[in-house]
Amino acid sequence: MSAVVEVKNLVKKYKEHVAVDDISFSVEEGELFAFLGENGAGKSTTINILCTILEKTSGEATICGYELGKDDDEIRKSIGIVFQNSVLDNKLTVKENLYTRGSYYGLSRAEIADKLKEYDEYFEMSEIWNRRYEKLSGGQRRRVDICRALLNDPKILFLDEPTTGLDPKSRRLVWDYIDSLRKKRKMTIFLTTHYMEETRDADHVVIMDHGKIMCQGTPAELKSKYAPGHFIWYTAKSPKAEQLLTQLEGEKAIDMSAPKYDVDHYDISIHGNITEFLYQHKDVITDYEIIKGSMDDVFLNITGKELE
Amino acid sequence: MKGFIGLTKRHLLLYFKDIQSVVFSLLTSIIVFVLYLLFLKGTFVDAINSVMNGLESIINSKDIEMLVNGILLTGIMGSAMITVPYNCLTTVVKDRENKIDYDISATPMKRWQIILSYFVSSVISAFVMTAIIFTIGLITLNAMGDTCLSVKTIIKLYGVIILGAISATAFFMIIVLFFKSSSACAAFFGMLSAATGFVIGAYIPVSQFSDSVQTACNIFPASHITVLFRNTLLSGVLEKINNDIGGLDQGKFAESIQDIFSFQAYMFGEHLKTNMSVIYTCVFASITIIVMTLLYAKTYKRR
Repeated sequence: MSAVVEVKNLVKKYKEHVAVDDISFSVEEGELFAFLGENGAGKSTTINILCTILEKTSGEATICGYELGKDDDEIRKSIGIVFQNSVLDNKLTVKENLYTRGSYYGLSRAEIADKLKEYDEYFEMSEIWNRRYEKLSGGQRRRVDICRALLNDPKILFLDEPTTGLDPKSRRLVWDYIDSLRKKRKMTIFLTTHYMEETRDADHVVIMDHGKIMCQGTPAELKSKYAPGHFIWYTAKSPKAEQLLTQLEGEKAIDMSAPKYDVDHYDISIHGNITEFLYQHKDVITDYEIIKGSMDDVFLNITGKELE
Repeated sequence: MKGFIGLTKRHLLLYFKDIQSVVFSLLTSIIVFVLYLLFLKGTFVDAINSVMNGLESIINSKDIEMLVNGILLTGIMGSAMITVPYNCLTTVVKDRENKIDYDISATPMKRWQIILSYFVSSVISAFVMTAIIFTIGLITLNAMGDTCLSVKTIIKLYGVIILGAISATAFFMIIVLFFKSSSACAAFFGMLSAATGFVIGAYIPVSQFSDSVQTACNIFPASHITVLFRNTLLSGVLEKINNDIGGLDQGKFAESIQDIFSFQAYMFGEHLKTNMSVIYTCVFASITIIVMTLLYAKTYKRR
């Protein structure tokens, strides 16, 4: 795999305010790359810079091998964007919206008609073609937005918080479409989101806060590094249990006055081999559970803030 | 080129598909028409009668009718020339407000093509709407009597419509850049609609105002365009009336009508001849196009 997006020391300043603060990362071809952060973390600004909409203050970036600031026209031909807010025209029908947008890329009506046929197969759109965009449900709108972003057969699809404001069912549907796109087209997806669960299937996650990259890696790497998870074991109150707790330095039952103990280890590694630990103390431990760390825990541990 | 045509088509679709927007853009013209039916016609006829000076038996009442109806038509066209392009150009503000300009900017289209598409779509919509009004008006006037218009004059009138559409669009392209929200844009449209009828002399002839107010009104090319409409559309009828009078009044009746109904724009103590109004409008449009180009180049530069 080769990098389709390479960003080095990217900075965006608005007078004194630093919206993007010296960030570097790369996106491999065909991967689902996720930018995670609160509103105002600098995710959308970064996307808008990479999509040639905003000017960078300093730094370098190449998209599909084209240099940002020099080969902007080539970059524009290679990317598709689904914006945070809908940017299609409410008063126009879905077809009119897509035909006009297709023409921006120099496509003929026949070429656009072929694409519309193709989308119909992917997204089952035939019933909404002639409906005004304003009359569509949130999920339908997002489907059309994705179709619009695919008109120029982009190599990279930028999705700026594509599911914000959607109900859970519509969010699921949108993700089904994105997943099917990835499978069928092997497209690189660059996603920004503040929904933790949307980063679960990402190949690479970058967490941003106040314009800075706080950490990056695969979800598994981030979880193992920043949110190792919980190992909870349960025991009835007994001298043996008390002895075991004394042996395990720093470990305390959640409620010492209760008739039984629930012992929560925030750090699974404290026990070394859990299986061995459970076997050794099988006469004391009545039950146990292992809860793996989530991306919420990663985000909370890194930024000290909770996301939705 | 396909992108430019597509974007221009999109702006036009947005204007013409929104029936409410089309109706509102013609609101001043509709008000002028309603007021005409209610009392303006009577006022115009009274003003004409006051300068008849014993010529009542010579001047054909049908020609007077044609004259006042023609003045009405020029008022309606003059108003549409202002309100239609402004309404069409609110798309610029809406696109910036809803960040649709981001979507357009992220395509391979050149910045100048994007700006030109707004300009061209506004010129086309202003031309189409005004030309429709003119054509309907002309057919109605023809049904009522002799308009005394040659084909050449009619073509000239369509030419004036194009000049008016270009000059008004260039001016409003600058104005809309100052609005950050469509609500501010709509508020301004309210004021514009109210003022338009007075500025172009659709309600009261501009000649009724003080010299300074007349100068202020005639700074805007739309007033000159209305003057050009009036001269071109009514020159045939006035000439016919003059011929009927046969020099008995040494052309005073026609002169009085031209004075009362502002057949010449008055600026800074001077009455401008019609060719001067054409030059003024062209110069005004050229300057505004240059200013507009500079402002848009700055605004549409990546931030």
